[in-house]
Amino acid sequence: MQTGTKISAVVHVTLLGWAFLGGVFRSDPKPFEVQDVTVISAEEYAALSAQQAPPAIAAEVSMPEATPAPDTEVAAPEPVPETPPTRPIPPKPAPEPEPVPAPLPPPVAPVQQPAPNETASVVAEAPRPPARRVERVAPEAIAPPPPEAEPDPVLREEVIAEAAPSVETPREQQQATAPEEAVTEITPETTREPEPQALAPSASPRPATRPQRRPEGPVETAAAEAPKPDTPKPETPKPAVSKPETPKPATPAESAATRSGVASALAEAMGGAGETRAPARGAPAGPPLSAGEKESLRVAVSACWNVGSLSSAALSTTVTVAVSLTPDGKPEIGTIRMVDSSGGDERSAKQAFDAARRAIIRCGSKGYTLPADKYDQWRDIEMTFNPERMRIK
Amino acid sequence: MTRLLLTVLLGWAVLTQAAAAQNGPLRIEITEGVIEPMPYAVPDFVPDTPAAADLSRELGRVIAADLSGTGLFREVPASAYISKIDNFDAPIQFADWKAVNAQALITGAVSVSGSRLTVRFRVWDVFSGAELGSGLQFSGTSEGWRRMAHKVADAVYSRITGEGGYFDSRVVFVSESGPKNDRKKRLAIMDYDGANVQYLTDSASIVLAPRFSPTGDRVLYTSFETGFPRIYVLDVGQVKRRVLETREGTMSFAPRFSPNGRTVVFSLEQGGNTDIYEMDIASGQQTRLTNAPSIETAPSYSPDGSQIVFESDRSGTQQLYIMPARGGEARRISFGQGRYGTPVWSPRGDMIAFTKQNQGRFHIGVMRTDGSEERLLTASFLDEGPTWAPNGRVIMFTRESKGAAGQATLYTVDITGRNLRPVRTPGGASDPSWSPLQN
Repeated sequence: MQTGTKISAVVHVTLLGWAFLGGVFRSDPKPFEVQDVTVISAEEYAALSAQQAPPAIAAEVSMPEATPAPDTEVAAPEPVPETPPTRPIPPKPAPEPEPVPAPLPPPVAPVQQPAPNETASVVAEAPRPPARRVERVAPEAIAPPPPEAEPDPVLREEVIAEAAPSVETPREQQQATAPEEAVTEITPETTREPEPQALAPSASPRPATRPQRRPEGPVETAAAEAPKPDTPKPETPKPAVSKPETPKPATPAESAATRSGVASALAEAMGGAGETRAPARGAPAGPPLSAGEKESLRVAVSACWNVGSLSSAALSTTVTVAVSLTPDGKPEIGTIRMVDSSGGDERSAKQAFDAARRAIIRCGSKGYTLPADKYDQWRDIEMTFNPERMRIK
Repeated sequence: MTRLLLTVLLGWAVLTQAAAAQNGPLRIEITEGVIEPMPYAVPDFVPDTPAAADLSRELGRVIAADLSGTGLFREVPASAYISKIDNFDAPIQFADWKAVNAQALITGAVSVSGSRLTVRFRVWDVFSGAELGSGLQFSGTSEGWRRMAHKVADAVYSRITGEGGYFDSRVVFVSESGPKNDRKKRLAIMDYDGANVQYLTDSASIVLAPRFSPTGDRVLYTSFETGFPRIYVLDVGQVKRRVLETREGTMSFAPRFSPNGRTVVFSLEQGGNTDIYEMDIASGQQTRLTNAPSIETAPSYSPDGSQIVFESDRSGTQQLYIMPARGGEARRISFGQGRYGTPVWSPRGDMIAFTKQNQGRFHIGVMRTDGSEERLLTASFLDEGPTWAPNGRVIMFTRESKGAAGQATLYTVDITGRNLRPVRTPGGASDPSWSPLQN
């Protein structure tokens, strides 16, 4: 064997041995970077991305709360004792009266209940000091702002026309449009009174969450922002979106444009929170109520659900009642409605609904104990009253 | 492998969480409530005329007695009132009535013009601030003011409970006096609450088992006037009676009207055997409905008139049976321990009340028409003879106390077994029969 051949053989053997033994053909997976993640639910993600609970806007105007009198037990009166008859035997029965039922005219309108909670407006109308006049520096007016900042005159007029007759206490008409954002004169900065702390968004803008469908129809309308005329809600920076299934009655132009502007400003300041919370009535944001919190609510309502005066037919009727709660946990009486019933006829369902409504109102008169930070979760509730276990006790 | 398992478990957890997530409004189910009387307030009715001042107070008291007597309502005492009702048409200050925990409020006004009495009233749901139903007005004679009050109470009861009332009704019963070994019995009629008692017969002979007609204008009863039990039909308005003729040498008893009021079903004993017969009142024609060597008695029609429930000892012990109204095969519906008797079909048609004797005690009970869901409502030394209130929710019966000085008393009880209370009558009273609601 030649020397060259030997050298070549040695080199080849060495190379092959290194290749096989050195790991050239090893099929182990390449190392990759591992990062720990935490899986969260959609609700938790939405809760994290949602804005924090809105700041308390203003203190409620405390209304004199009636204090229930102690529940005094009254002994059931015995039947009225009657004197023994003195008629001869056999006497003729006394002629019976002939009551003639006749319907009465409709009742007078009951006194309007005082508004449960008067809350201050979301905007504190702090008087601004008069601007100091300075010399004019711009030869022409600045171009108006982008179109989206302009109020919609058509919608505004519609709201005014519809709401006017239904409001019993008309409020002062306010300017329907926002002031022009550009002026032809320079207005020097004046010392503004500090706005209430509560008006400032307490949360920094967050990145927009997953895109969601915008509800149809105009969004920034006064109608969507206007509170109900009879049950004013505390002003919380709610999204400026009307509830599609239960359109609320329009209100007068009272502060409509102002509120609309404020709402949009708040929504914008909150980094698109209005977009994400828009469908909150359909899909509540935030962490859901725990089982204990639900049980607490259930027990609270049960304590006032008195079925003792219900007919046996009503005791066989299951009703589902929808109610909206205010942020302090009190039921809005006007929102209580029966959404479903089963097991009985219409009359039985009516009796069962009346008992359920009494339970919701009575035990909620001081507000149900519910976590304020989960208001979106319990603002709208559907309670199913099933009396099956209460029939014979 | 472990990583794969962890991934699968994690995915399952996420899916479960997503499925359980709330969609739409918060939903809860309430299955437990409370059973307690509903607090209500009935301030004195407003007298529209000076002559109505006294009646306005009395009306309110009778209405309150009616409602509270059901056990379903509890009156808020007038001393707790914050508001007064001085004007029937004035707005209601609901906050004041909420404060005293009144859930229902009854307001009314009374006017008297000559002998004409007019009562107006409204019922309010205090917590929702709404009127229950519409205002109603009754007119009649001043002498009938108690009936007015009962009618108002019936309307209130009906609007709140959803059931018909029973206050404007009467009861015919056997009035008893004297010691047990020489007891005098005569028919009497009264308001359901024991007021306005009037006697229909004298005490010269024993009378038994009075039964109202479906219209409340006639009464069937059994009298021993001739020495043998015979059935009489009495016109309540005119206090005139006539005997329902049966064959010579027979004893007829335990009569009851059919729902149409034209026929009577009763028991007839002949030759030592007792069976059930039906008689057309107008023609006197009789039809035999049972034919057995045993004792069949105490028949009672179903409200639709298609069936009859009765008691029989054909099985060796006294039990309840149901047969077609025209006779035919009977089916037994009672199978519990003891003896069952005096069955009465509920006006609603869904239940049968009965007397039960078991282990030396008497009970009033109810059961479904198929014999299921038997419930004993009372227990005492002697309870017997149930009769239904017109709305089928309350039962009146006789309770007799023990001993030589024992006396028969009428009691009422709710079909739930609650609210057992005596009916005030002058002297002893037994064998009640509840009339339908008066027109």
